[in-house]
Amino acid sequence: MTYAAPTTDERTDLDLVSRWKAGDQRAATVLVERHAAAVSRFVASIGARAEVEEVVQDTFVRAFASIDGFRAESTLRTWLFTIARRLVLDRRRSARRRGEQVEVQEADVATEYDALDGVVADETRVRLRRAMAALTPTQREVFVLRVSEGLSYREIADAVDTTEGAARVHYHNAMRAIKEFLDE
Amino acid sequence: MSDCPNGDVRDALPDYLHGRLDAARRREVESHLASCPTCRAELSLLRDLRDTVRHAPAVDAVAIASAIPPYRAPVRRAWSNGWRVAAALVAIAVGGTSIVVVRSRGREAPTELAASVRAATASPRDSQRIAATQRRSEMAAPARPTPVDVSRPAVETGELAMATGAIGELSDRELSALVEGLESLDGLPPTEVEALEPVSVGAQEGL
Repeated sequence: MTYAAPTTDERTDLDLVSRWKAGDQRAATVLVERHAAAVSRFVASIGARAEVEEVVQDTFVRAFASIDGFRAESTLRTWLFTIARRLVLDRRRSARRRGEQVEVQEADVATEYDALDGVVADETRVRLRRAMAALTPTQREVFVLRVSEGLSYREIADAVDTTEGAARVHYHNAMRAIKEFLDE
Repeated sequence: MSDCPNGDVRDALPDYLHGRLDAARRREVESHLASCPTCRAELSLLRDLRDTVRHAPAVDAVAIASAIPPYRAPVRRAWSNGWRVAAALVAIAVGGTSIVVVRSRGREAPTELAASVRAATASPRDSQRIAATQRRSEMAAPARPTPVDVSRPAVETGELAMATGAIGELSDRELSALVEGLESLDGLPPTEVEALEPVSVGAQEGL
C-alpha cells in the first residue's frame, strides 16, 4: 500500500507536544481538542459508551504523564487509541473481578447509540448500527479504526496489539459480515 | 451485496475514503471505480458506515485539558552517579586482579608444559644446545624479568599475583566494608525515571 507522506496534522502534533514540554499548557488543550472526539468515538465503539468521558480524560492524563515514552513511531492519535483501549480492557477486568456483568449486549449497543446521541436516526442508519453491533468485539475495533478513523493496517495492529495480517483479515471478515447482515 | 474480485482495490477503499493514498495510487483506484459498480457500491457503504460511527458522545476538551498537570522532565539523582563511580572502581579493582591471575597462569603454564616436554624428550646433546639457546636469549633480552621457577606449581603463581593486586592489600576490615558495599548495590534505586506505563499490560482479549 502506498500512503501519502506524513500529514501536516502529524507534524503539528509533535510541535504541540514540544511546546507543552516547554511549559505551554495551552498546547495540551489544543491537542485534546484535536483528538478527543476521535478517542471518544473509538471508546464508544468498543462498548464503553457509559463511561466515555471518564475513559477519554484518563487516556489524555496518562498519555501526557508518559509523553517521553512516545517515540513518534506511530501517530499521536494511534498512541492515544492504544492507551484508551487498554484502559477499557482494564476496567472490564476489574468489573469481572467484582463479579459485575460486563458483556455488551449487541442490541443494546445500537439502541444506546441513538438514545445517547439524541439523533433521530433513519432506518438505514439504525440498520448500519445494528450491523456493526453484530460484529465480534475485535472485528468492531478493527473496523472502526479502519473505516471511521482511516488508520492503516500497521497502525491498527499497533493500536489493538495484533499483527498487520490479522488486522486485514478482521477488517475483511467484518465487511463481509456487515454485507450479509444488510442482505438479510 | 457481492464482492469485487479485485481485492487490492477493495483493500484500499478506506484509505481512498480518508485521502491517505498518494497521487499514483489514488489514480489507480479511481480508474477502477469508474468501471466497477460493485466497488462503487462498497465505497458508498463505507461512507455511510463512517458517517454513522461519527456520532459519538461529546466530551469537554477544556475540562480534560485542565486535568493534565504541567510537564515534568525526568530527573537523575546526583547521588546515584556517586554509586555508579564506586561500582565502576570496584569492578576495575576486581577485574584488574582477575586479569593478573589469568595472565599469569596463561603465561606460565605453557612454559612449564614446554619445559617438561623438552626435558622429557631431549637427548644429552640436545640439552646442551637448548641451554646455549636459552643463554643467548637471556643475553639478547636482559631487561626481562627473571623467569618464574618452573618447578613451582602454577596455582602458586596465581596466588602470588592475587596477593599483589589491589584487593589483596586491603585489611580484613576494609575488605568487609567493601563486601558490604557490593551487597548493598542490589538495593540501588533506578538511575532513570521510568516512563509511566499507561495501564498494566496483561491478557486482554475477551472484549
